[in-house]
Amino acid sequence: MDRSKISTGHHYLAPPVAAPSSELLFGRLGAYWQTLGVTDPAQVQALTEQVLRRAAELPETPALDPLARALMVCGDLLDEWLARVLELPRPSRQLAAARAALLSGVAPDWPKALFAPPGEAMDHLLDTLRVAIAEPTPPPIASAMPTQRIRSFSLLGLLRVLWRKLFGG
Amino acid sequence: MANSVQTPEPIGHALRQAGFFALVILSTLIALGLLVSVFHTDGLSPIELLLLLLYAILFSWICISFWSALMGFFILLFGRDRWAISRQPGTSPDPTAPPPRTAILMPIYNEDSQRVFAGLRATHQSLVDTGQSDGFDFFILSDTRDPDVWVEEELRWQDMVRALDGKGRIFYRNRPENTSRKTGNLEDFCTRWGGHYRYMIVLDADSIMKGSTLVEMVRLMENHPGVALIQTPPVPVNRESLFARILQFAGGIYGRMFTAGLNYWQLGESNYWGHNAIIRIQPFLDHCGLPKLSGREPFGGEILSHDFVEAALLRRAGWEVWLAYDLDGSYEEIPPTLIDYAKRDRRWCQGNMQHLRLAVSRGLNGISRLHFIMGVMSYAASPLWLLFLVATGVDAYLQTQQELVYFFGQNWMPVWPVSFAVEMTTVLLVTLTMLFLPKLLALLLLLKDAKLLRAYGGLAAATWSVILETVFSVLTAPVLMLFQTKFVLAILMRRAVGWPPQQRGDHMTSFKEAALAHGGHTLIGIVTGVLSYWYVPAFFWWFTPVLVGLILSIPVSMLSSSIALGRQARELGLFLTPEETEPPAVLRYLAENLEDDEPVLPVLRDQPRSRFVQALTDPYVNALHLSLLPEREPPGKRRRHYLEGLIHHLEEEGPDSMSAAQKRDLIADPESLQRLHALFWSRPPADAGALP
Repeated sequence: MDRSKISTGHHYLAPPVAAPSSELLFGRLGAYWQTLGVTDPAQVQALTEQVLRRAAELPETPALDPLARALMVCGDLLDEWLARVLELPRPSRQLAAARAALLSGVAPDWPKALFAPPGEAMDHLLDTLRVAIAEPTPPPIASAMPTQRIRSFSLLGLLRVLWRKLFGG
Repeated sequence: MANSVQTPEPIGHALRQAGFFALVILSTLIALGLLVSVFHTDGLSPIELLLLLLYAILFSWICISFWSALMGFFILLFGRDRWAISRQPGTSPDPTAPPPRTAILMPIYNEDSQRVFAGLRATHQSLVDTGQSDGFDFFILSDTRDPDVWVEEELRWQDMVRALDGKGRIFYRNRPENTSRKTGNLEDFCTRWGGHYRYMIVLDADSIMKGSTLVEMVRLMENHPGVALIQTPPVPVNRESLFARILQFAGGIYGRMFTAGLNYWQLGESNYWGHNAIIRIQPFLDHCGLPKLSGREPFGGEILSHDFVEAALLRRAGWEVWLAYDLDGSYEEIPPTLIDYAKRDRRWCQGNMQHLRLAVSRGLNGISRLHFIMGVMSYAASPLWLLFLVATGVDAYLQTQQELVYFFGQNWMPVWPVSFAVEMTTVLLVTLTMLFLPKLLALLLLLKDAKLLRAYGGLAAATWSVILETVFSVLTAPVLMLFQTKFVLAILMRRAVGWPPQQRGDHMTSFKEAALAHGGHTLIGIVTGVLSYWYVPAFFWWFTPVLVGLILSIPVSMLSSSIALGRQARELGLFLTPEETEPPAVLRYLAENLEDDEPVLPVLRDQPRSRFVQALTDPYVNALHLSLLPEREPPGKRRRHYLEGLIHHLEEEGPDSMSAAQKRDLIADPESLQRLHALFWSRPPADAGALP
């Protein structure tokens, strides 16, 4: 290990903030929601507040700073909604695929459906998502592939066969 | 046990093989007889015995190649082989049976993703052109370990699915562990998804296949229920360096004659070359589970070169294996330089040497054994030729040391030494004829087909190309002989030959690279030249073709890697191939896909410094990657600790301080992946440009 990198005290990731200000929390979470496609400031505000409420209820974990914990909740919130509307188990590979489909850009108006009451917009979104959800492999059909035996050449074996052929027994 | 194939008639088949081997044995015996008559006058010395033995082995090896080429020449001259698989009527498929489904498999390992997917798309486009793509699914079977390439593959796959509306037809998976390499990769497919399909067509990372060829392969399999495997001959294409263009020309013009000749005597006992072949999945499942060989490497352990063994096992079980020499539209790319070619040889050499043991395994068919021996001889011939040359030099030197005695015994008349110049010249001429006549015959074959002749640039250009290719092969043969000898010896002595990985794309060989690779060859050439000129001057002149090749190996290797020279040669009409003069649609598609790389996925249009970091920062890439991870049990305590350590390592020192394996471990774990995504967003690094 290159010790000199550690001794400098400069870490690759910025140092964690133990007690982040509201400004920082709203700023980072807002930026995250915008990257996910939520552009309406009111929707960003509503989602961020919901995330912060839920994050506050979570037990503290030393591995994650408060902001990281809140960001994890963003994903949870999205997954929860997707699991409900698409009737998918949590956690599951299909749910991750649904999240990927949602974020892939096939349905840029998805936040509208998220905030709208159930109706045509939601149905259209769900149809679009169902088509876009990736299917990496077909369902498995287990087949056996028995290991074959390849018998090496053996001089002794050859002599034995010859012996049997010549003298029987 | 397979259903027996109706044709060819067993007697006719046996007669063909008997006739072919009779020619091989007879020509070997005649050449040996001439050599024995020279050596035998004053009794055989040990060195002469060695020379005879080596000559017998090497000459019979040349004979198989020569007679195959000659048979191929006559087949192409007089039309198709009536017993070729494509000419046999076969049986009509059962109309009540469901239509066959075929999986097109592309096993990949840390390849250039852009090229892999461009090739696969080209094959897909060509298949769609046939209007029969419904029966085919595509599988990208990744064994990639490099995390950046892994993420790139996932994005390229998703982009291909989107662009071609390929959901449920184009699949991708990355194996958590690449156990047993390519064999394990294919076995994993067969045991998990093979049940969905009747056939699989195995491609290589640089394979391209015409859609009509894929359809025809399936049709042949349907019509011949006793056939388990049909191999198509892949034609080398797409390279621009002089070296590769010469090889592409040689592969095109001579290759078709050799493959026709191989099919002439192998018929339903042919071989599998590892890719560009169609395989019936059920017999493959039943008979091709490869065992580990007892003992240590090089002859024990995992079977490295699986293809020959799988063909032999299918044959052992009674299934037929064919070479469809007349199916065109099967392409591959070759190494661009002499050094890359040698590097590929190094990888193949160990697998082929292992076949020495398999050739004497019990229960295999005779022709399968011959395939193994031919595989071994592809590499073992080099040290044997080297030994032959050294022994010839030593013998020549010993001859010069003998004083001639003209009067001995009761003879009062001098007894003059007998000259064997005629016999020796005959042996030499026969050997040279066997080596070079096929080239002339291949040229003659072009005269039969005006269109093909034009595609090779016309008679004058093709003739010059054959002459120059011959000179080039004479110059490079001794270099390859020394390379392969080194590889064989290293394998036998269990020594590693340290070399960086082979570069697939066109690139120039630098002086440093050439000097490192060929410095020893040049030195050997100079020292041998001086020694032979000094001690055996008569031998020196015979030896010059070998010496020139070795002494010039550095400039030849560098110049032949030149793309500019390759293009100039093309402008002069040299080394043209039909695929260059009139590229088939599938190759045009490939060129277009590579040129107009306009992904549907916006995230692919970015060229981030690291796809690994992108998988941690970009919510879409992160989610897609997460969705493609296999569902596994959560890691145990010790593994969890290890992953925690890696996360801290990344937090503190960044991705550049981590090995590829460490990075892979991190993004292979769903929990770490999600946690790092949150960490990167909460504490963005200075260089994470994608993060707002």
